[in-house]
Amino acid sequence: MAKKRERLEVIRDILESIRSSRNIKPTRLLYASNLSPQMFKEYVNELIKKEFIKAHVDEKNRKTIFLTKKGNNFLEEYKIIENFIENFGL
Amino acid sequence: MVIYDWIILNKELIKIVYALIIVIICAMIVIKTDRLFRLSLHQGIRYFRNAFLFYGLAFLIRHIVLISFAGIVNYYSITKILFEFLMIMAGFFLFYSLLWKRFEVVDSNYSSSLLNPIIILFYILAFIISILDYLWNSFIFMFFSQIVLFEIISIISYLNYSKGKEINFLKFYFIAMILSFSAWILNAIVAFYLDWNKGVLMGIYIINIIVFLLFLYGIIKVTK
Repeated sequence: MAKKRERLEVIRDILESIRSSRNIKPTRLLYASNLSPQMFKEYVNELIKKEFIKAHVDEKNRKTIFLTKKGNNFLEEYKIIENFIENFGL
Repeated sequence: MVIYDWIILNKELIKIVYALIIVIICAMIVIKTDRLFRLSLHQGIRYFRNAFLFYGLAFLIRHIVLISFAGIVNYYSITKILFEFLMIMAGFFLFYSLLWKRFEVVDSNYSSSLLNPIIILFYILAFIISILDYLWNSFIFMFFSQIVLFEIISIISYLNYSKGKEINFLKFYFIAMILSFSAWILNAIVAFYLDWNKGVLMGIYIINIIVFLLFLYGIIKVTK
């Protein structure tokens, strides 16, 4: 059985999906994140609250999600955090 | 003998310098790990940070802050209880940072790492141990609890190391824990059998500084 992804890994996957497509529709991001709709909503709300991502609604009422500078910084630092957790057995 | 006489003459100064070194190292560790915690909200990093926050506070209070109140308030009792409480809690935080995943759901976040049910249990234990030592006018309960705790942490860190030999710092973590375990045993021996021999105490100070420096080195290396 595949190992359940940890919270940090889920966040990294969501942010990387957004970064790789610059901006992404919520439905596509839901598929890419491989989460249940409920969990997906919780994660997205948390990431918006933490200002890692932002949602944009255009004049045709189409919603897209894009990465903020803070979200981009998090992805850069993710490797360091992952290393730290591994090295200190946390 | 000359060195020993010098140690005896300057023992208070040595204690302050020793405490300052530990406080500075702890402050650096807390600042670095707090940044990582704020980015990741990882509970393990949070407990690890708390451990060094409590070690730093323990040394700051025992050797630096309360020394200014010596003679004014009941210096000895306040210092002893507070110092022991903070030291024991720091040990518990370090211990729990390695085990939190077994007790908490990874995805859930306690809103506080200082006031959640398991940590409150640790507070109660630390409080009981420090009060018992105060009432018995001894350090036996703290020494015994820390020897047992660091023996367990050493075993856990050895298991972590044997599972992940390719991960660099796990070896140093294990070495640091063995050194801490030895320092607590030496502390007990020097208190109960050697009448607080200053030479041995200096050795313990050096071991403790090495342990804290090892952690700082690991953190700087991993986060650079």
